[in-house]
Amino acid sequence: MTKQPQPRRPLELSRRALFAGAAAGAVALAAEPAAAQRCAGPPPPHTKGPLVWRDLDKEELDDAYDQSVYAFNQSNIAERRRASSALALSILGQPERVAYGPTAIEKLDIYRTKRANAPVAIFIHGGSWRNGRASDNTYLAEPFVKAGAHYVMPDFINVLDAGGDLFPMVEQVRRAVAWVFRNAESFGGNPNALFLAGHSSGGHLGGCIVTTDWAAQGLPLDILKGALLGSGMYDLKAVRLSKRNQYINFTDAMEEELSAQRHLDRLHTPLILTHGTLETPEFQRQTREFYAAVKAAGKPVELRVGQGYNHFETQETLANPYGLMGRAAFEQMKLLA
Amino acid sequence: MTMTDTALSAERLAVPAAQPKQGPRVWLDLDQAELDAAYDQSKYAPNQALVQARRLVLSQRARAALGEPQRFAYGSSEIEALDVYRTRQANAPVSVFIHGGAWRNGRAADFAYLAEIFVHAGAHSVILDFTNIDAVHGDLMIMARQVRSAVAWVYKNAARFGGDPNRLYVCGHSSGGHLAGTVVSADWRKDFGLPGDILRGALLCSGMYDLKPVRLSARSNYVKFTDEIEHELSALRHLDRIACPLLVAYGTCETPEFQRQARDFAAALKAAGKPHELLVGEAYNHFEMLETLANPYGLLGRAVLAQMGLSRA
Repeated sequence: MTKQPQPRRPLELSRRALFAGAAAGAVALAAEPAAAQRCAGPPPPHTKGPLVWRDLDKEELDDAYDQSVYAFNQSNIAERRRASSALALSILGQPERVAYGPTAIEKLDIYRTKRANAPVAIFIHGGSWRNGRASDNTYLAEPFVKAGAHYVMPDFINVLDAGGDLFPMVEQVRRAVAWVFRNAESFGGNPNALFLAGHSSGGHLGGCIVTTDWAAQGLPLDILKGALLGSGMYDLKAVRLSKRNQYINFTDAMEEELSAQRHLDRLHTPLILTHGTLETPEFQRQTREFYAAVKAAGKPVELRVGQGYNHFETQETLANPYGLMGRAAFEQMKLLA
Repeated sequence: MTMTDTALSAERLAVPAAQPKQGPRVWLDLDQAELDAAYDQSKYAPNQALVQARRLVLSQRARAALGEPQRFAYGSSEIEALDVYRTRQANAPVSVFIHGGAWRNGRAADFAYLAEIFVHAGAHSVILDFTNIDAVHGDLMIMARQVRSAVAWVYKNAARFGGDPNRLYVCGHSSGGHLAGTVVSADWRKDFGLPGDILRGALLCSGMYDLKPVRLSARSNYVKFTDEIEHELSALRHLDRIACPLLVAYGTCETPEFQRQARDFAAALKAAGKPHELLVGEAYNHFEMLETLANPYGLLGRAVLAQMGLSRA
């Protein structure tokens, strides 16, 4: 019998964070990779149950797939993102919105740059596969548009609307990428300069995209010239064992097909992988192990670690050409900050 | 207060608001404990140590990327020196940064991460070192004198590093925001024999512009306030000397006093007809505010580059 985590009130999270601030700050510089920092000095009283994944019991595994346990400022960052996106929208103007598939949600927003035949960045949003819309992330577009790249953000179905099935999400995002390749010239984009970025569950989806069997669709293997995958999941076994299985109906086929780490033979895109040292232990491990696997497979990959950043703070750095993810994307796309 | 407000407060703050008053009011509606907390960032910014750790890592990285700065002495003591991160353009505008740290902490080298956006946008970035309040036995006047003389030095010597003295800007954060306030309200003619308008613009972020409540707070344990210090170093009381447009900024997760200081200063500038803009960082705390200066698309970075005419089209 495993002990279920108690619901945590926001105030408790803040207090846990208060302790973590001091503790994590002290060690953030000390080690790489840094140990996971919980939002508390002394962890809450917990009797270790049977191990369900590596050295984690059920409660620890569930917590490791629950960002709110480790990121005290999740709601603040959501608020900042809304304000920043509203400002960016007022500067960039409404995007072109184009259908890439038959259902209502299958549309993508294009923020155009002025440069002709410009490279294109495609951003796959996160949100535990359940939440998020392209329009929530307009703030990510401005640095790229100003630096001479188009920014494309697809909307796609969420896992709840898909009845717990991750496949439709992946299929839609793949269709979106294929659409951009085939139609890039229609908006002044260079189809031979497509780049992908994804964060969190969007990092997972990005992993699935870069391990797509493009040849089967008559598309070039190197359709994506580079991908930046931040804070994602690349093997679903541990996720399947966690409480995320309450809203995702994992099957053996899903776990196998949608674990990018198991399909590295289909990887033909250079990768930059990122995570923060204050993310959950599993989100740090997922990236580290994916990096090691890609490297062992002899494929081009780089790992960049954000010292002192949690899950949500890492995404904010994508909106800064001098930040962890923004710098990586600019270097990958050869854009000048 | 609505439910949403309560939830947001609880999420952001680990402190006071809800606590019953412990004693008589000592400043506006605050009792002594509340006032002390309102001048103690750690009570309102749970991730203070984390943001500091990030800053150190990013600054190391920036120094590696930009190369070590040129270092010039601007005064007679060892600490009176400044770091210059040069841009490639000749006769380029100059941004001078005054760091914070409750007047007690901080070194220029640890703020190098702020230099990159200026250097790449075509401006020199100058980051000041100056004494700390404990080293001068609580005399804030000495700190103010040093940063003012540093700015005067930059004005007179900009050509030595390819800077244009007629395009000189200042930024300050926290206690550096206070000191930047004393810079923009300096009496350049009387104290330095310089024209009154040597500055083209300034950003004052999360600073203090009237020292009266600070003097009443626990900060008086280490700052030896006098009537003269309180008066001379309260920018709010010398609006007549302010001769450049100001950006005044604060975050909505800062302490109530740090928010009020910025709002009241902006209101006073408005009443005095001084050109200024009030920038409000929604859901940013005291330390997170400064991080937005290191991003051309962040709240502060965007505003400062625009002020300097260096925005990207």
